[in-house]
Amino acid sequence: MADRGVALVTGAAQGIGAAIARRLAAGGALVAVNDIERRPAMDQIVAEIGGLAAPADVSRRDQVDAMIAEVERSAGPLSTLVCNAAYMTMGPFTEHPPGDWWKVVNTNLTGTFHLIQAALPGLRRSGRGRVVIVTSYWGVTGWPNATAYAASKAGLIALVKTLGRELAPEVIVNGIAPGVTATPQLEVDAADAGISLAQMHERYAAGVPLGRIGQPEEIAAGVAFLADPAIGAMTGQILHVNGGEVRCRA
Amino acid sequence: MTAETARTAETARAAGPGVALVTGAASGIGAAVARRLQAAGWRVAGYDLRPSSTDVSVTGDVTDAVALAAAAAAVTDELGPIRALVTAAGYYEMVPFDQLSLAQWDRMLAVHLGGLAATLRAVLPGMLARRDGRVVAISSELAVGGGDGDAHYAAAKGAILGLVRSLAAEVASQGVLVNSVAPGPTDTPLLEPASPWRAPDYLATLPVGRLASPAEIAETVRFVIEEGSFLVGEIVSVNSGAVI
Repeated sequence: MADRGVALVTGAAQGIGAAIARRLAAGGALVAVNDIERRPAMDQIVAEIGGLAAPADVSRRDQVDAMIAEVERSAGPLSTLVCNAAYMTMGPFTEHPPGDWWKVVNTNLTGTFHLIQAALPGLRRSGRGRVVIVTSYWGVTGWPNATAYAASKAGLIALVKTLGRELAPEVIVNGIAPGVTATPQLEVDAADAGISLAQMHERYAAGVPLGRIGQPEEIAAGVAFLADPAIGAMTGQILHVNGGEVRCRA
Repeated sequence: MTAETARTAETARAAGPGVALVTGAASGIGAAVARRLQAAGWRVAGYDLRPSSTDVSVTGDVTDAVALAAAAAAVTDELGPIRALVTAAGYYEMVPFDQLSLAQWDRMLAVHLGGLAATLRAVLPGMLARRDGRVVAISSELAVGGGDGDAHYAAAKGAILGLVRSLAAEVASQGVLVNSVAPGPTDTPLLEPASPWRAPDYLATLPVGRLASPAEIAETVRFVIEEGSFLVGEIVSVNSGAVI
């Protein structure tokens, strides 16, 4: 297993995570496919790529520990960890219930803390450990009605920068910040805006210099690059894959 | 064009990802990029003051717009239309700002910023006409982080980032993607053996503890060209963690 590497991709039953799992598998990795619970979409991807099912709620440390122990027991130490699982709701800041705020932060930010801490011994043992954190364009720019999500994603950027310094050169940590990407998440945005999904695509594309929104496969290609064991001189960086949409300083 | 070169050009167009022009291709990062792209099937032309080990080698100065235009035309004739442009031509020197001569300042800007602009003027029209192009300008982590004794180099490399971001927004919808790779200190002839960037004390301050290799920069450039279909105006920093 050591030759082709073992990867764990969280939130991989759909959208960007599924594309990442497929891409890493196509590159030769044995991929453990995580999502919050075992469901047909997860099993389908596992079967498609010859991977492992690794259900767990990343906001629960006990579940994360058990999942990583199980993956490493059957496949060997993780060489690549892709932290992609995320939870998101949209709504005005003043109306955001504290319970839901914490669910966003606990899943996106603290979930990533749990994953990296639990995976670190294996990543070190693999001798080529790579962590890729999927953050967001909105974590850099902020976005109306997405305060908790944007804050959690901004927290992930600081986590990338800090762990990029702290864990190198043994384990290399980088992040990727997708711009608006064609995933099921856009249905949430469309509902928030009170428009159709097609109108939502059009509205987002209008703000992108490239004139379209991104595809999950384009984000997955960036993740595969950041997970490449041949590149060890890039650490603590955020790769912005957003079609040129820039509304921020950092 | 002879029948022989016409056949060669036709073959090149039919097979592989296409033709790349790499400036500064005779050594260091440019040479590594040329090798990497060739390995990926690209037909590569090099433009450098010295001959490059590429499919086509043109010698010339990037500050010479006339020579660049002629080179772009010759490369297109011999290999086919230029689909990818990588601008790696450049040089490095450290000079404290109060000792920096106007000539040193002017030359630094002329080679890096002027050279990029002149190369783009020679190559971009063809890319826009075909609505197909990838441009990667090599910048530097010093453009982002600055450095003691690096005012003119950082200013020139920083100006490249402004140009890249603006041009990227301008031409993205026309099929041409413009991006930059900003290497940190890299193990090339640009860094003399006695360079402070090679000193163990300095390397110990880097999170990865070593210089980047030209091969790592070259693979990053290949990724941006071949797989960066949603990268526009991006700066990819492969810098050993020197600037985070």
